[in-house]
Amino acid sequence: MADILKPKNTNPRGIPEAPFIDKVENVVKNPDTDFDMIMQMFQQRLQQYKYMELSKKQQLADLNTKIPDIEKNLDVIKHITETKEEGDEELETNYELNDTLYTKATIDVEKLESVYLWLGADVMLEYPLDEAVQLLDERLEKNNEQLKIVKEDLEFLKENITTMEVNTARLYNWDVERRKKLK
Amino acid sequence: MELLPEGQRNTATEVTWEDQQRINKFSTIIAKKDEQSAILEKLKTDKEYLDDLSLEIELLDEDEKIQYKIGDAFMLLKVEKAVEKIEQDNEKLSTRINEVCDLIDSYDDQLGELKKYLYAKFGNNINLER
Repeated sequence: MADILKPKNTNPRGIPEAPFIDKVENVVKNPDTDFDMIMQMFQQRLQQYKYMELSKKQQLADLNTKIPDIEKNLDVIKHITETKEEGDEELETNYELNDTLYTKATIDVEKLESVYLWLGADVMLEYPLDEAVQLLDERLEKNNEQLKIVKEDLEFLKENITTMEVNTARLYNWDVERRKKLK
Repeated sequence: MELLPEGQRNTATEVTWEDQQRINKFSTIIAKKDEQSAILEKLKTDKEYLDDLSLEIELLDEDEKIQYKIGDAFMLLKVEKAVEKIEQDNEKLSTRINEVCDLIDSYDDQLGELKKYLYAKFGNNINLER
């Protein structure tokens, strides 16, 4: 009877698919003794899905800040290369020195061949312009892939949550009807 | 969860696996539509800003330098160059907006179909409205 909650299928990340109740009678064989326990097991599973959904949503939010950051980096490098190609010697900027504090800087683009990228873990590394673009492109691609996966997982979870909610409602309604008949 | 009003009973309609899948589909598409609608809102505001900007910039002297935001920093650009950038950005934005609109339309179509089917089958036992 507890078998119904054993996953038959999982998605590629190993998230189990929610069971579907074909006929309530087949799941709850001895309503007087088992009903409460089965109901509880279903609610527990529903909670687990919701918890997983929450953590995936957090991942999604992280990616949604990371990806624009990478795109911004690429935009700036692209602008630098464009300026170089046009033969301008200098690039004037007004940049953020600290939160809400901006100051001016003039960049000697003629001699500028490299940029520094944060690699994480307090490490910054110098890269030639083209290699920096390559690295950022790769990172962007990887993050976009990850984004796709997280969205897939969220969709899958959402479906399972709906199934579990419908299951719970059906179990509940079935029990109400059953009790009415007993009276 | 809501209790049924006094005197009203749940007319037991069997839920089949196919129905369940349709219900699931409905709920995921609704979620996707919400997500895209939020994106559309944001894009539309961006577009408004850009449109205002391209009007305002007409008033400036061509040789004057303005500060244009690229990434997190402002770059000093000739007006002429900035206009070019704005046009590029505007075009990109318009394509994005059209894409998102098409997506929302296709979601609406699917939702309509599912609604028709689910209401026909479950009548008052299901509520698909907000």
